[in-house]
Amino acid sequence: MLWHRRLGLSTFVVLIFLAISGFALNHSPGLKLNQINLSSNWLLTWYGFEVPTAEGFEVGGKWFYQDGNQALVVDGNSVASCTAPLSAIAQTTDGVFALCADGLNLLTTDGQLVEQFGTVDGLPANTQTVTVLDNRIYLTIGSSSINSVTIDSVTMEFNSDSLGLTVADIAPQTLKDIQQTAMPLPKLLQKKLKEQSSGPSISLETVILDLHSGRFFGQFGVFFIDLIGLLVCILSITGLMAWMKRR
Amino acid sequence: MLKKLYRAALVTAAVACFAITSLTSFSVSAKGVFQSGPDFFTEVFAPQQAEPKVLWLTPEIRAQAAVILDRPVRGLRIRYHQRDNKTAWILEEIGKEMPITIGVVVEDDVIQQVKILAYRESRGGEVRYPAYTAQYSGAALQADYRLDQNIDGITGATLSVWAVNKVAALALYYHAVVIQSSATHQP
Repeated sequence: MLWHRRLGLSTFVVLIFLAISGFALNHSPGLKLNQINLSSNWLLTWYGFEVPTAEGFEVGGKWFYQDGNQALVVDGNSVASCTAPLSAIAQTTDGVFALCADGLNLLTTDGQLVEQFGTVDGLPANTQTVTVLDNRIYLTIGSSSINSVTIDSVTMEFNSDSLGLTVADIAPQTLKDIQQTAMPLPKLLQKKLKEQSSGPSISLETVILDLHSGRFFGQFGVFFIDLIGLLVCILSITGLMAWMKRR
Repeated sequence: MLKKLYRAALVTAAVACFAITSLTSFSVSAKGVFQSGPDFFTEVFAPQQAEPKVLWLTPEIRAQAAVILDRPVRGLRIRYHQRDNKTAWILEEIGKEMPITIGVVVEDDVIQQVKILAYRESRGGEVRYPAYTAQYSGAALQADYRLDQNIDGITGATLSVWAVNKVAALALYYHAVVIQSSATHQP
């Protein structure tokens, strides 16, 4: 009798939770729980998703970054199409040059697209970086092999008016040293980017199901719910016994 | 004897399976870059050479181009080649998800040639066939900035067809702009 009371008291909170979550799961399609997506940082980390910190380049007080889809974003505004990765950004007094996987974007200093110079227009396919030295634009073309003839890495000077390329006599290392590296975006832009793009998310249904089964807390949670189930069995038996005794 | 026959049949079946699978994996893919921009310009004006030029997109031009494309235009300038009354343009427009790079040649206000230079989507690449692009030759721009010729569509490539139609109309418009401005600039 005493044990029945103790067991009942110690499990009732969990039982009520299990009843409510079970009800929610039973009516999940009606409640559209599978369409509610959660993407809070701690939840994603808890589920083992790596939440990448978006990176970008700060040029002239503006942040240039790739949005994870197909756009080059300048301070929150999508300005041009850009296939990831956005590998380099360089600035001259005339403009900003952003190198994406699908081409070089020529922008004004205030971040407006002037034009795109893609591989169709004559940009070498394995262009690796864009660097500016003494207000001149240099493209580093990676080494490649055509018909088993290896062509070394070349540096070319880029004329942004004629879109012409000429071989430049400059060591790749010199350019490498002055190259701007990607930095994590400021918090505000990170947040904005997350709101705009569709990153990883977990449906509310999954979370409730995992809470209901105890899987949310790993192996321990599952055993805990098992234990509660066992206790419910014991409770029903002791309850039946108490009722029989009273008669 | 029967065993031998059986074995031969098995081997033949295996070879046939292999041949079929390897053939299907090599089947036509719509994707690809078919011609580079510089090559296109050279081919269009051969054996002569054309002058590379730049059209700066003023707010008025942008407004009209946005109407033709049904979306805002990106970029501040467009490159083209010109020789007398003949201009060649390379323009991009998204079919379904990826941009299609389209070369358009205009002479005396009518389209002379449309050529798909790069197609990046997995379906709908039929627009690159000459049988389709030939329909554009001779098309001019109407007052409502649409083509004055009916272009037969392609089943399954509707969006790509629309994209090519828009670009063809846009090239005609740009051509009119540059011809007009060069006419007014000349004494």
